[in-house]
Amino acid sequence: MSITADHLCEILGKYAASQGNQLNSDREFVLDVIAGLLKNEERYGYRSCPCRLATGVKERDEDIMCPCRYKDADIKDFGSCYCALYVSREWNAGTIPRMPVPERRPPKK
Amino acid sequence: MDVPTTMKKVTLFALSTCPACKRVKKFLDDNRIPYTLVEVDSLDGSEQWAATKELSRYNPQVSYPTVVIEDVVLGYDIDSLQAKLQ
Repeated sequence: MSITADHLCEILGKYAASQGNQLNSDREFVLDVIAGLLKNEERYGYRSCPCRLATGVKERDEDIMCPCRYKDADIKDFGSCYCALYVSREWNAGTIPRMPVPERRPPKK
Repeated sequence: MDVPTTMKKVTLFALSTCPACKRVKKFLDDNRIPYTLVEVDSLDGSEQWAATKELSRYNPQVSYPTVVIEDVVLGYDIDSLQAKLQ
């Protein structure tokens, strides 16, 4: 049986807390990201970032499997990951500016 | 009858799974802005390659969503050409 979006949301929330981060406080947005993750899991067999184009070849997409390799650096520099799923406490509180996170992944990847 | 001699061509490069893409799409829809949607992850292999190559002309990072807004000038319209080229 596949995992439900709500259950995955709960797990990701615990993971975020364990890393000193939070999930985006916009639950509708979070569930939309999770729907994308689950769609990618169905398509490719793994939960690649829904905000990036995956190749479908696991070895080539390892860096963008959620949580992606760039998450920590993006949260440190911008308060949120590229997809705005994982965010800092300050980002959620609105005490730091919110901006689109520039793509950190090398373009030819 | 007034015939517009300039218009803007709007293209949205998006992924079907991307929440930010959906929000941009909603903005364009809500504001009744005509646009061409290129949902790259929904294309087949060769179409996806071509769309990605096209997107990279505008955005070398090939990130989503990308909105390309191009001015189009129709006919011999020096005023419009000068305005757009300034």
